[in-house]
Amino acid sequence: MSGRWGATGLWLALLLFPLAASFSGSALFLQDIGATVLLTAIGACAWNVVGGYAGQVSVGHAIFFGTGAYASLAVYTLWQLPPVAGLPLAVGLAMLIAALIGLPTFRLQGHYFSMATLAVAELIRLLVSNWDMLGAAIGIQGPATPRGWWDIVYRSPVPYYYIDLAVLAALLAATRRMTRSRFGFYLRAIRSGERAARSLGVPVRRIKLLALMFSAGFAAVAGALYALKVGFVNPESGLGILVSVQMIITAALGGAGSLYGPLVGAIILVPLQSVSNTWFGGSGSGLTYILYGGIIMLLARYEPGGLAEWWHRRLAPRLKRTPAESEHVRSAA
Amino acid sequence: MSMARSLAAALVAALAAAGTASAADAVKIGVIYPLSGNAANAGKSALEAVRLAAEIVNDPHPELSPLPLAGGSGLPNLGGAKIEIVSADHQGNPAEGQSQTLRLITQDKVAAVIGAYQSNVTFTATAVAERYGVPFIIGDSVALNIMARGFQWVFRTTPVASDFAANYMAFFNDMNKAGHKVTSVAVVNENTDYGTSVATTLLEQAAAHGLKVVAQIAYSANSTDVSAQVLQLKDKKPDGVVFVSYTADAILYLKTMKNLDYLPPMMIGDDSGFSDPTFVPSVGSIAQGVMNRSAWDVGKPGSVTYKIDQMFRQRTGHAMDDTSARDMQAFFVLAEAINRAGSTDPAKIQAALRATDLKHEQLMMGYRGVKFDKTGQNTEAATYLIQLQGSDYVAVWPPQFSSAPLQWPMRGWK
Amino acid sequence: MILLQATVSGLLLGAVYALFSCGLTLIWGMMNFINFAHGEFVMLGMYAALLATWAGLGPAFFAPGAAIALFALGAIVYLGVIKQVMRGPMLAQILSSFGLALLLRYTAFFVFKSDFRTLPESELSGTLHLFGLYIARAQLLAGAAAALLAFAMHMLLTRSALGSRMLAVAEDRQAAMLMGIRPDRMQTLAWGLSAASAGVAGALMAIAYPFSPAVGETFALTAFVVVTLGGFGSVPGAMIAGFVIGLVEALAAYLIGPVYKDVVVYAIFVAVLWVRPQGLLGASAR
Repeated sequence: MSGRWGATGLWLALLLFPLAASFSGSALFLQDIGATVLLTAIGACAWNVVGGYAGQVSVGHAIFFGTGAYASLAVYTLWQLPPVAGLPLAVGLAMLIAALIGLPTFRLQGHYFSMATLAVAELIRLLVSNWDMLGAAIGIQGPATPRGWWDIVYRSPVPYYYIDLAVLAALLAATRRMTRSRFGFYLRAIRSGERAARSLGVPVRRIKLLALMFSAGFAAVAGALYALKVGFVNPESGLGILVSVQMIITAALGGAGSLYGPLVGAIILVPLQSVSNTWFGGSGSGLTYILYGGIIMLLARYEPGGLAEWWHRRLAPRLKRTPAESEHVRSAA
Repeated sequence: MSMARSLAAALVAALAAAGTASAADAVKIGVIYPLSGNAANAGKSALEAVRLAAEIVNDPHPELSPLPLAGGSGLPNLGGAKIEIVSADHQGNPAEGQSQTLRLITQDKVAAVIGAYQSNVTFTATAVAERYGVPFIIGDSVALNIMARGFQWVFRTTPVASDFAANYMAFFNDMNKAGHKVTSVAVVNENTDYGTSVATTLLEQAAAHGLKVVAQIAYSANSTDVSAQVLQLKDKKPDGVVFVSYTADAILYLKTMKNLDYLPPMMIGDDSGFSDPTFVPSVGSIAQGVMNRSAWDVGKPGSVTYKIDQMFRQRTGHAMDDTSARDMQAFFVLAEAINRAGSTDPAKIQAALRATDLKHEQLMMGYRGVKFDKTGQNTEAATYLIQLQGSDYVAVWPPQFSSAPLQWPMRGWK
Repeated sequence: MILLQATVSGLLLGAVYALFSCGLTLIWGMMNFINFAHGEFVMLGMYAALLATWAGLGPAFFAPGAAIALFALGAIVYLGVIKQVMRGPMLAQILSSFGLALLLRYTAFFVFKSDFRTLPESELSGTLHLFGLYIARAQLLAGAAAALLAFAMHMLLTRSALGSRMLAVAEDRQAAMLMGIRPDRMQTLAWGLSAASAGVAGALMAIAYPFSPAVGETFALTAFVVVTLGGFGSVPGAMIAGFVIGLVEALAAYLIGPVYKDVVVYAIFVAVLWVRPQGLLGASAR
């Protein structure tokens, strides 16, 4: 983003959006979309840490999202605990799985990691689909009516909106801190060229692993927040490939490897999907994913840095910007 | 009459007319189905069926008169108000179902909602209706967990897996009494939520009806090869096999059974794949006598159901199918309740739905009637059993509703 | 007896896996590029066969038709997209083929709908009764043809002049250029060949098994497992691994349960990554 004013303005707008929406006839619907935008942004920002900053392209991030959703609803279904109580379990499990995927694959070429994320996502989806304790193919649900404030079940989307906003802010703050630290420096070095980085003494494997675990943990939180809002998860909505695709395209469109890119991507894509659904009703017939595929290809071919890159190249030179804020590094093959 | 009086009379008449006109504001009903994605065909068909039902209520159709509200124009107790359909597409996604139902209720301000085909979407959509206190009627989704949450605003007219399973086992018992030996059964089911939940209830009902389950074979719906499963069946020799399959697997099983020369005395397919338009053209010639279930039967020419089928064909170009028919029936039940309530107030509609008591003659489906229990489930829901004879399925059970004699054992390809 | 039956089915399907995995490993070896859309090439081969039946053509046309169509597609994809992204970051490379996979898959869903289809009955239908086993004629044909074609591909690569040129580019691009070989042209051919072999595998499978646009995703994963097990860039490795995976799948289906066959295959994949990432015949994968 160009400068502090842009960022401040954005956060102010996000903070006040539900209030502004409440004056419209479609208040609740708009607030619901707002909550969905933030939820999508959290998932995409989480993916961005490992896919954008570290340059390790995970195409199976649904694993971690799904872990978060299932863990929180499982503690409710099995032990009648409030779903939030499942959060530590969710994050811990996600990080464990991340380590299990990362340890063997990070010492190999990047392709192995990507293939592994796809395979493990499918593996876990199939296992869960046949595991009765987790609802098998039917899925599991959350509390239908709240037993207390701790169940976090609300009629209105507004509480969810602010919870999501708080988590997003925390994630972005943590990400920003990370990029400015030595860890961030190492990540950029790895992205520019692994061999060179290794020869300079960067502990490549460890850094990649830590980035993945961080990313996985936050993706699990996104999953848990989704489970709280929707109150239901099944193998397809929690662990399906479209979950992973959504994270990737949201981050890539806005700018993988940039701080606000995924949020911008979410602000554009989520309302677009909803609007086209409401206006055209059924004539979509699956055009959304054809379009997503096309957009991803075009981005890859012409502008891998997404909108953030385009912004920096076309518009930022006219606005004052310090070197420290150019988060984005483009590396050659 | 004096001038003043005639003017007054005219004024009163005009006011009365205006009053009637304003009392006849359209009643909005939200309709949410998958209009894109995998189930788009089914969703669009359901939407058309509901639209046809709205037309039948709104315009006079005296030829369909046993159906409530078909004879007149609009809803009589609401001053002839017409029904207006507001449709939404949930794309098969539970989160989108939640979001779109929210839109229908808070933005379009519908009086009631009908939907949603896929059970997992119906699950989240009904939760929204419950939270906002708006009646939601389900014509098609059969998952048991939908009605198990203690909700007060959700009603379901369709029979569910336990009803079907009970029907199949009762049928087997009837066959046994009629002299055909049926003491053992096998269940073959695909392993997603549909197949698994139906299989569970089949096992329960088999036990309840004193039938021995000699095999339960779960398989993945997109298997490319089912020879192992068929060989297992050949080994166990059940007297009847119930299949819970989608289209490709149903077709694959029949072909594999012919290749491996295995034909059970009777096969019952639990709708889905066995009712798909491509099933009969693909394997009809080798699946003669296979049974299926349907709460919808076209019936004899001149009957109400026959006429509805004709109207549906004109609208969509294809015949009425069981699922769309069930959705249409649910809509009629809803309209009848709104009429009885005489108002669009949600609480009044809810009370009217609870008091619903329709008889078989007032329905287009094969249900015994419509009466909701305290969870909102229709306890009079039932299904016919149909059998493939030639290139059509015909109703063969229960005997009082059958239109053709039952063929036992099934002929298959022989 | 059922065990033997499962073994035979597994090997026949494994031959098809071997055929379509060869192309994936060829590209990987030559360009260090994993094509996430490879499974969709197989799926499109199946639909090419379907279109051939709609056009009234017989089974003899399925494989050649698929080969030509997919060869063209592969070459176009390389020239239009892949060539350029190879110069960019890893993210762009992976996203380009992943995006292509989505595009092809959902276009197929849009055009053909999600129903599973089978090809109409023909002279290839029916079962053979050999040695007490029931073998579907179509499966036998598919397996035998796939095995022959995979072998032919291996011969083409190792024995022909064209093949040596392609392998030279794989081994050392700079040296190949110095020898007057045009890497670009070889890579275009390799993409065409890879896509064509995937398409033919699909067309052969379509004769024997039902298909839908969703199967591309599963085949992509199967191909990944096969090429990883076979070893980075090794076509013979992919061939052997193809048979192994086909066999494992069939035995897992029979011994553990049909729903778990994919689980076992993916679990093997993860195990290979942990224990022996270079696979059976591959060079070091670092």
